[in-house]
Amino acid sequence: MRNRATNTLSKGKIRQSWSKYNLYNLQQFRSPPTTNRTFFQQKWSAKAVSRAYHGEQVGEGQWKRMFNHRIRSVIPMNTSDLAADDGSLFSSGRGSGLDKEGKPAFQARPTPYTSMAFAPLERRLDVAIFRALFASSARQARQFVIHGAVTVNGQKMRHPSYLLNPGDLFQVEPDRVLFATGTPKTKLERREGRLAQRKEPEAEEATEAEQVEAEPTETPNTKETLKGLLSQAKTIMSTDKDTLPAKRKQELRGFQKAVRRVLSRSESSNVLTDNLEAQFSQLTLLLNAKRSEKKQPKDTKKDKQLSEEDTPATDAATDAAASDKLSEAFAQATLGEEVDASELSDEEFDTLRRALTQMRDNPIDNTKPYATPWRPRDYMSAFAFIPRYLEVNQNICAAVYLRHPVARPGSAEVPTPFGESIATPAYGWYLRRRW
Amino acid sequence: MAPRVQTRVSNSLLPYLTSTSSISSLPSSSSSQCFSRQFSVTAAPQTKLRRQMFEWLSTEGAELKHHIPGETNYVTRIKDGPMSATRPFPNNPNFVSESILSEELRNEVYNRVVEEKKSVRAVSMDLGIDMKRIAAVVRLVELEKRQREQGKHLALPYARAIHEMVPTTPLAEAGERQTYHEPINDLPAHPLTGAQIFYPVSESRPFNRVEAGRVFSSAPALEQHEAAEISHPSDLAEKVIENPKIIGWVGKGKNAREILQPADVRIPHPHMVALERDRMAHPNERRAVAERQTQRLERQDAAEQQRRDRAQARREKKLQTFTPEKSRFEYRIRETTYTEQTTGSDGRAPWAAGRRYGVPHRDRTRGEVKIPTRVEA
Amino acid sequence: MVLRIRLARFGNKHNPFFNIIVAQARSARGAKPLEVIGTYNPIPKRPTNLYNENADARPYKEIALDSSRAKYWLGVGAQPSDPVWKLMGMAGLVAPKPTTHDKA
Repeated sequence: MRNRATNTLSKGKIRQSWSKYNLYNLQQFRSPPTTNRTFFQQKWSAKAVSRAYHGEQVGEGQWKRMFNHRIRSVIPMNTSDLAADDGSLFSSGRGSGLDKEGKPAFQARPTPYTSMAFAPLERRLDVAIFRALFASSARQARQFVIHGAVTVNGQKMRHPSYLLNPGDLFQVEPDRVLFATGTPKTKLERREGRLAQRKEPEAEEATEAEQVEAEPTETPNTKETLKGLLSQAKTIMSTDKDTLPAKRKQELRGFQKAVRRVLSRSESSNVLTDNLEAQFSQLTLLLNAKRSEKKQPKDTKKDKQLSEEDTPATDAATDAAASDKLSEAFAQATLGEEVDASELSDEEFDTLRRALTQMRDNPIDNTKPYATPWRPRDYMSAFAFIPRYLEVNQNICAAVYLRHPVARPGSAEVPTPFGESIATPAYGWYLRRRW
Repeated sequence: MAPRVQTRVSNSLLPYLTSTSSISSLPSSSSSQCFSRQFSVTAAPQTKLRRQMFEWLSTEGAELKHHIPGETNYVTRIKDGPMSATRPFPNNPNFVSESILSEELRNEVYNRVVEEKKSVRAVSMDLGIDMKRIAAVVRLVELEKRQREQGKHLALPYARAIHEMVPTTPLAEAGERQTYHEPINDLPAHPLTGAQIFYPVSESRPFNRVEAGRVFSSAPALEQHEAAEISHPSDLAEKVIENPKIIGWVGKGKNAREILQPADVRIPHPHMVALERDRMAHPNERRAVAERQTQRLERQDAAEQQRRDRAQARREKKLQTFTPEKSRFEYRIRETTYTEQTTGSDGRAPWAAGRRYGVPHRDRTRGEVKIPTRVEA
Repeated sequence: MVLRIRLARFGNKHNPFFNIIVAQARSARGAKPLEVIGTYNPIPKRPTNLYNENADARPYKEIALDSSRAKYWLGVGAQPSDPVWKLMGMAGLVAPKPTTHDKA
């Protein structure tokens, strides 16, 4: 299928896409004029404008077959109202409820039915993936499906037009999602990635030799190491938007190096590999041990929270067992040359730990197709919303299609950038059968 | 389509298109770019618009470039200020970006259902989350746990970013009241209720929701003594939960359909109405009311569980599995009956099991949908 | 004439699907049978990875069989072909066929 979904500025059409062109079009958009135009013309332009957004990748014939004039809606019921009255209040008087001081007894906000005209399209797999924020455009979502990166109920589904049934669970490969929603690589990073891929086979052989060498050579003052580690952690944690990614990368690399150095000095830990997971668990164990040794009575609650927060793997039992051995090791590694451990406050420990978590979850890896460490792409937040008919788990990039979208008094669940003045004529266009 | 063709035809546009990223980061350079194409002969209708766009992106739109943790950052923020923080589309006031479950709340739901073995219904009422959503959350958290165990790659930075951008419903601190995530008693509008019906009733008898439902489904009105038995429509709810077959039918053959039930029966939590009524009737007996409510809930859970078990047993009775020792496979043998009802009088009804004889294949016919309509979980 | 219970191949190239049929032994594979008593899908289906209990489940093949009709046809002397014998053996309708190895 040819991609007509270019975000041209001259046409100013809104698409299902997160591009900045689209963002500009979205804020620039004005409803087509209605004065001096026939109803047909009004409906035509409303239809054209809304079809450019809704199911642009779907042929008109296919969409017309999907269209249904019936619109699902719900009314949120108030149980105390239901309990107070068995319905005879509604039917009393002349049949429309007794008036209270001249006003009708029951008032409700109008339900925007016509905003739901394109609800059947939200059932499509590609659209649902876009709505779950797993792809930066419906077209990209479609590509993910066709390329086999999407499963429905655990089975690979290669049809973007698959209509989800309520209860269907769909999942996209996390790497694809990170690629779709992350900042793209710069030229330099792409180059580095190519180099890294080329080097990979060579590197595997070299690492073993390197590790043996690395151990004895580095023996700087531990106090300085610790301090350096901390300052780097702080810079990592400072969420300043203006810091250039390159600089941040340098920081992260430095931090990684420092972590490795600390680990290499503690004798009990044999973890000198590049395995971040192992490094992380070792260091958190060290920190935990140190912490419990230092402040047992105080701040127990906070401690618990923290350990729950970022280390699901390390439960209390293993902590307790390991703490004795590791505290010794840590003492040997860092305090061997008479560094006072109590210099580090609780806050500093937290920073260290958070920096570690971030480093583990979001490492630098040039082989990935997106810029690392991962950052959301520009202008993503302007399009970030998740409709209620989806329940999304972002960690595993899976979502459940709970039910079909519905309208309720005052709101419609189908995300559409168009107001009543476009939605209604567009719905009217498809109400009349022209084929 | 215009710009695509132009990129190939006119070289003068090329510097523009290739240096998009540099322009976006350094908006001031866009003017100098204009100078570079002053000798170009081809008309470039996009240029002015592009300049305007980059101007907007560097001034007003700059706020939208990065997200603000803990806040939404939609286009409406620029126009209407932070008051309309939940509307992503400036032209559509009917769409609001609704909150999602926070990570802690999600884990709490999982704990309550799986670890504490509470019923989905009870958890739904406590936390104000739709029952379908609770079922989905349990599935998703379970899947996540397994993937963590298997050491699969997770999108953790992405998840964190999304939770910073989108409004979330937090888990209440200990002792605080949990804010409801969504309305849990949504009544789906039944298509039958779309009709406007003129139906005169005598003033001597009240006309309630039960009877309105009968009118909508064109069933005969209740007899006087039947109507007298139902003091409030919510009385029906408990009966229907115990035995759904008491709902009557109207119409014959294909047109047969169940009589439309009052809202008290059709909402997801009918027992909440009963609780409210109990409260109103006995305002001073809090404990007794609560006790009756727990009994009601237990009864409902038991009835539903029984129904589920029965359905499961029926399914299992029909399915027999056989695993040969030397085989890699398992054989699932489903008991079926091929009778006139299931295969049609000539044995080749379209719904008959198995591939049929003497019926032309329609698999190449135009407009025939060949993609699957459902995937077994 | 002998009655046989056998498979009739349907489906496309590389995508077989069988009806379990009762037919005269000398009739063609694609001819209309006396009766269809079941189906057999030899393409194994993979259980999904969605649930914990599926972790070590095997791929499965689906058989649908009307056992009462099968018993009737066996009772009037219909002879199952080897593949059908295998399937019916699994359903417990006939004793598993002794292999040549067992005979010896």
